[in-house]
Amino acid sequence: MMHETTDKKWFDELVLELRLRQVHGSAIGDTVASAHELLADTGQRAEEAFGPARVYAAALELPSAPQHEWVRRALWPSLLGLLAFLLFNQAVVSAVRSEQMLVSPAQLALVATPVVLIALLPLYLTAVIRRIWVLIALSAICALAGLLSGVVAPTTPAGAWLAIDPLPWLIGSALTMVVLSTMNTIRSLRPNNDDILDPRSTTTHSNGTGTKVVVLITNWLFPILALAMLGLALSFR
Amino acid sequence: MHEIDWQQELTRAALPHAVLAVLTNGEMHGYAMLEVLSSRGFPKIKGGTLYPLLKRLEDQGLVGHEWQHDTAGPGRKQFTITEHGRRELARAANAWSQMDEVLKNFRADRQETP
Repeated sequence: MMHETTDKKWFDELVLELRLRQVHGSAIGDTVASAHELLADTGQRAEEAFGPARVYAAALELPSAPQHEWVRRALWPSLLGLLAFLLFNQAVVSAVRSEQMLVSPAQLALVATPVVLIALLPLYLTAVIRRIWVLIALSAICALAGLLSGVVAPTTPAGAWLAIDPLPWLIGSALTMVVLSTMNTIRSLRPNNDDILDPRSTTTHSNGTGTKVVVLITNWLFPILALAMLGLALSFR
Repeated sequence: MHEIDWQQELTRAALPHAVLAVLTNGEMHGYAMLEVLSSRGFPKIKGGTLYPLLKRLEDQGLVGHEWQHDTAGPGRKQFTITEHGRRELARAANAWSQMDEVLKNFRADRQETP
């Protein structure tokens, strides 16, 4: 049992390392299946036969997709979704109260903080995935920036840098979130040629119902959270 | 004083040659290759050494592979040597012979020196 658990951890790390290297799903499936085949033959533990997963992933020198591919396909849409969600949050309270949306430079800088941190993600993605404290620190910074943006929000038009009608921003950001989520859902429902296939049995590595539900919820996360924010704003009106 | 692990150095250098030579016996999966290498007196090789080497040989067009399926169990990854691989094996054998000759000459010189 311990043997299986250790090997499962090793294989999870191997898949993660290969994904970080932008290796295609079919090549990952081939690598994983080859390793399983040898371990079944020798009865060895994965670490014993192949060494550390990270070192083995590097030694294989598998061809990888250019990094800008995932930035274009995954990062920019997520960033746009986050920006729309943040704008929605800024506009929703003012819209519900039928007031003008008041913006100060400090508030704008604090709202922009998570957007900038996510935009720079390609520079430190590996550190985020390998070290949990980096992820915790980033989440804390984003949460703190969100809280502080509420604290420094101007209360009177006199203290505001901008005083704008919140309704177009509210509708625009909501539409952006819905369009992005719809696009992501359509994309995730299509057959994906980057799935990890096991060449021994030609079945996918991990695309069960649970995974599909998680993907669907992730795709609609911003609209769901935005609805919750709208609900909160309406209840505290 | 630091001692060089000559066994390891030579194993690393000779392994591509040995793997190509093993595959001239016919298609073979990874474990069978390790068994043949071991039975011929080659030092113990780990999967973490063999598979990256096979990948490099495949990239160079010297080796190919195919997943073969049967009803008895999960598929097996069978490796084969290509025509280019056979030509390279002949060149490798030639290079090793030349190197062996050079080293023999060095040993002979040393024995003749009083």
